[in-house]
This record gives sequence, C-alpha cells and structure tokens, in this order.
Amino acid sequence: MSRPNYAEISVEHLTKQYAKVRAVDDLSFTVNAGRVTGFLGPNGAGKTTALRMILGLVTPTSGTATIGGVRYTDMPDPIRRVGAILEASSAHRGRSARNHLRVICRAAGLPDQRADEVLALVGLNTVGTRKFKGYSLGMKQRLGIAAAMLGDPRVLILDEPTNGLDPEGIRWMRDLLKALAAEGRTVLVSSHLLGEMQQLADDVVIIAAGRLIRQGPVAEVLGATAGMARVRVRTPQAEQFAAALRDEKLEVVATADGTLQVTGADTARVGHLAFTAGVELHELTGEGADLERAFLDLTAGKAGAR
Amino acid sequence: MNLIRAELLKLFTTSLWWIFAIVLLPLWGLALGYNWLAANVTLGTEGGDGELAGFGSVESVVSGLYTSGQSAGVLLVVLLGAIMVTGEFFHLTATSTFLTTPRRERVIVAKMIVAVGIAVSVWLLTTVLNLAAAPLALGNLNKPSYLAESFVWQAIGLNGLAFVLWALVGVGAGVLIRSQIGTVITLSVLYVIGTQVLTLIFFALSEYVWEPFMQLRVLVPTLASDLLITGPQLDDDPPRWVGGLILFGYATVTAVIGTLITKRRDIA
Ligand SMILES: Nc1ncnc2c1ncn2[C@@H]1O[C@H](COP(=O)(O)OP(=O)(O)OP(=O)(O)O)[C@@H](O)[C@H]1O
Ligand SMILES: [Mg+2]
Repeated sequence: MSRPNYAEISVEHLTKQYAKVRAVDDLSFTVNAGRVTGFLGPNGAGKTTALRMILGLVTPTSGTATIGGVRYTDMPDPIRRVGAILEASSAHRGRSARNHLRVICRAAGLPDQRADEVLALVGLNTVGTRKFKGYSLGMKQRLGIAAAMLGDPRVLILDEPTNGLDPEGIRWMRDLLKALAAEGRTVLVSSHLLGEMQQLADDVVIIAAGRLIRQGPVAEVLGATAGMARVRVRTPQAEQFAAALRDEKLEVVATADGTLQVTGADTARVGHLAFTAGVELHELTGEGADLERAFLDLTAGKAGAR
Repeated sequence: MNLIRAELLKLFTTSLWWIFAIVLLPLWGLALGYNWLAANVTLGTEGGDGELAGFGSVESVVSGLYTSGQSAGVLLVVLLGAIMVTGEFFHLTATSTFLTTPRRERVIVAKMIVAVGIAVSVWLLTTVLNLAAAPLALGNLNKPSYLAESFVWQAIGLNGLAFVLWALVGVGAGVLIRSQIGTVITLSVLYVIGTQVLTLIFFALSEYVWEPFMQLRVLVPTLASDLLITGPQLDDDPPRWVGGLILFGYATVTAVIGTLITKRRDIA
C-alpha cells in the first residue's frame, strides 16, 4: 500500500481573492504519501481557505488543487478517497452522532454499520446515540475523525484537529495520525500548536499572508535556521567565560538573570569550552533548533491578523 | 437514489417532521370546521339562496370540504421544503453534505424529490381524512356525498398538483434566500397575508391605473394556486391551467437559479 514520496496532493498557483483580502496568493506545494505533513501559518494566513479549496468547498479565483491527480469535485466517490475534518465540522444539534454518520454513509453508498465501526474506532461507541448538542468539544473532534474515516480513505485532510482536545486527546490524535501515515496514507494537518507539530509532522508547509514561506522535511526547515541554535549557561565566572567564548567567535549575551545566551554552538561545544577554560558550570541548556523559533523567524513581519 | 435515502434519513432524524405533523392535524380540523360552516350556509338554505351569502356555489363549497386542510398543509410543505435547504447552512451541515457529494446540484434534486414525496404524503393524508369526514358533514345536512360527481375528484386531483408544485417552490426559495429565519418569515408572510395585500394592490392598480392589471394578479403564487384549484372566479379570469403553469414557472425558476447559485457559492 505504501508509496512513499509520491505527491498525493498537489496545489498549483492557488489563489483566492475575497472582496478585501487575497486570502491565498499564488500558493503551490505538494504533499507526499506515507508522511504527516504539517500545514503551518499564523492566524489569517489562509490555511483554512486553502484546505477548503482543495476540498472543493471554496472556488479558487485561479489555480488548481488535485488529490491523486484528480480534482475533488471530479471524484465520483470522494468519501472513499479523502477524509476531511474542517474547523467548523458540525452536525445538526438535534441529531445523534450515529445518525449523522449514517446520513453520510447513505449518501456515499456505504453500509450503515460503517457508522458503528468508526464510532468504536474513536471511542464514541457508548455515546453514539446521544444528540450532537450534548457533545463536548473533544467529542466533536472525535466525531469529526470518525466521519473522516468512514470511507477508509487514503488521504486525510485536517484543519486544526487538536483544537479543544485535552493532553490525552492530543496524544491519541497524534498516535492515530502517525499510525495512519505509517500505513502509507497521506496526512495533511494544519495546526497552531508548533510544539505539537514538531512531534507529529514529517514534513511542513509554512505559509504567511497567503504565500508559501517554506516547504520541506521538518529537519531541513529546522536546519535552515540551525545557525540560530542557542545555549543557555549559568556560571559563577560569567565574565571570564563570556570572554573565552567570544575568543571562539561565538555570540554571547549576558541576560538579566545572570545567565549567558550563546548563539552558534551546541551544548557539547560550549561544555567542552567550559572544561578547557576551567570554568565551573551550574547550568547548561540547549535551546536549539525548535520549530516554534524557526516558524517565528520565518514568518516574522509577514503576517498578523488581516 | 442514495442521496434520496440520505435526505429522508436527515428529515426523520430530527424533531422537525413530527412537530409539523402535530401542527397539521389541528389546522386540518379548523379548516374542516370552516368548510362545514360554509357548506351549512350554502346548502342549508332552501332554493339555493345560500350562494348569495358569499361562500360560493354548491360546487365550490363541496370541493372545499373535500380539500380541507389545503392552505395549512401547503404552507407546512412549503416551509419544510425550504428548511430542508436552509437548515444545511443554519446547522453548518452544508460542509459535511457537500464534502460527501461535491456535485451540489444532485443534493438539491434529491431534496426536491423528497419534498415532493412529503407533499404527496400530506395530500394523501388530508384527502383520506376528508373522504371520511366530508360525507358525514354533508349527510348531517341531508345532502348526498357528491362522490359520484367528477368535479369533486377534479378538485382533489388539482389539490395534489398544487401540493407538489408548492413543495418545489419551497425548496427553490430556500436555496435562493438561504437564511433560515429570512426564508421562513418571507414564505409565511407571503403566503398568509401576502395574498390579501397583493389582491388589494392589484385591485387598486386596475381601478386607478389600467384595468387589465386585475388579470395579472394570478401572477401572485398564492392566487395562481387558487385559480388552479377553484377555477376562474371572475368572468375575465384566465382558465385553470394558467394557474398551474404560473406555479410551475415559479417552481422551475427558483429551482434553476437556486441550483446555479448553490453550485458557485463558497461553503465556509
Ligand atoms: N468568506 C470570507 N470572506 C472574506 N474574507 C475571508 C473569508 N474567509 C476568510 N477570509 C479572510 O481570508 C484570510 C485567511 O483566512 P483563513 O481562515 O483561511 O486563515 P487561517 O490560516 O485558517 O487562520 P486561522 O489560523 O485563524 O484559522 C483572512 O484574512 C480572513 O479574514
Ligand atoms: Mg483556520
């Protein structure tokens, strides 16, 4: 089943012009099968708009988006190929979760019992007959996953699926998405939770103000900003050590709480320099390459709510 | 076919349908009572003077009895048809619906078929009730059931046609207006008060501006359906089928424009 590195989702020059904003601006990227791809961007970057265009819910002003080479709106059986959870995924308040799923089954020509199977998959089987209005946010997200899995699709597209989940729920979601990708499926997931993304994603697509900022494997995107890796050092001989570090052409900043911020070296190098300089260390912490910093650096000044 | 099954399941898995059913029965009772009263006046007076009392000819009061519940039933069917569409946006289920079926016109067609099915069911229900109750009411007035007369069956049949056409108008209006509350209010007001108000306007126009305006009043959907069921009331009224055609025109135009709009609309 697995066909790694095969571009399953392909977005080409996608643009959406609303009356006042260009929500998505000439955006192109690809998403590979067998991997979890994080779709990142600040508020208002155009993530939701882009995902809705991929799914045929919003009509692009120009450009195309295909999944497995086919536009979503041209698929005869989209539910069997693509599963989606969108921000406002919702069901009728007065309808039970089980009936909500059965409606989709009927429309997609799936057997009714798929509804019960996916409810069990997401752990909602005991509350399936409860009305949607009685669902907590976390239960609604689980129901969204259940709906997305109805047709056992090869491709999953999720817009902030961890919104409203507790830590256990987030872990559950992470493990589920990783497992699905490991089976060879394509998983495209947008999120604000960068730390979460770092643990989850294999690839990232970063956008800001509707435009692509960077796309690639997480490690590569981090590598691009790795020169910025920082190490925090606490020592009673701060001045002496700072001088020794500067001799090594490292950038050192003394902070207000008495620690040193060293830029351009990892903990091993700084520890070794301390040893050779005979300096006593009380703390040595790597603040190295993390996605959040890379993200903030990459999108700095390019966005903000529009 | 799958989509029709899905739409039926949608309809019967929320409380809307039985609320409408509960509302329908007392309204039907009221209508029957009113029509019985009208029959009482027209038929109860010897020598046919009753027609002068304003409830119309024997034919029209008897037809009225056999189509009791028409106005309430049609109103409920129209609203149900409209809510089948607006509810998708009101309850944010449009996303799920159109993700499952990106060919949106198919969803609209399925909704129309289901709305027509509901219309036929309501028509069947009220007709069965009327066929049971009307002969009793007429017997009470020492009159025959008139069931051997063809005009009774014509009235019942045209009543069914009106139900079907209005169901289509309801779905079309729902697609066009989209706002749940807006659609419900617009349709109810147009249906309940609109007829009187618009008749007055057309009357005034024909009195003071140009006489043929009075004939144009059949363009009002409710008056078109009156014409279809009860036939021409004034000498220069157009024939029945014109009413049916006008109603059909409304159904088609709202449905086609509505579907085209739905296909383009961004679902957010
Ligand atoms: N229907 C619409 N009409 C007009 N403008 C819109 C519409 N939908 C989105 N926008 C605008 O398009 C831009 C992108 O919005 P979008 O929801 O795609 O961003 P996002 O990346 O999903 O943001 P968030 O992280 O807050 O969910 C925003 O400036 C938003 O105001
Ligand atoms: Mg969003």
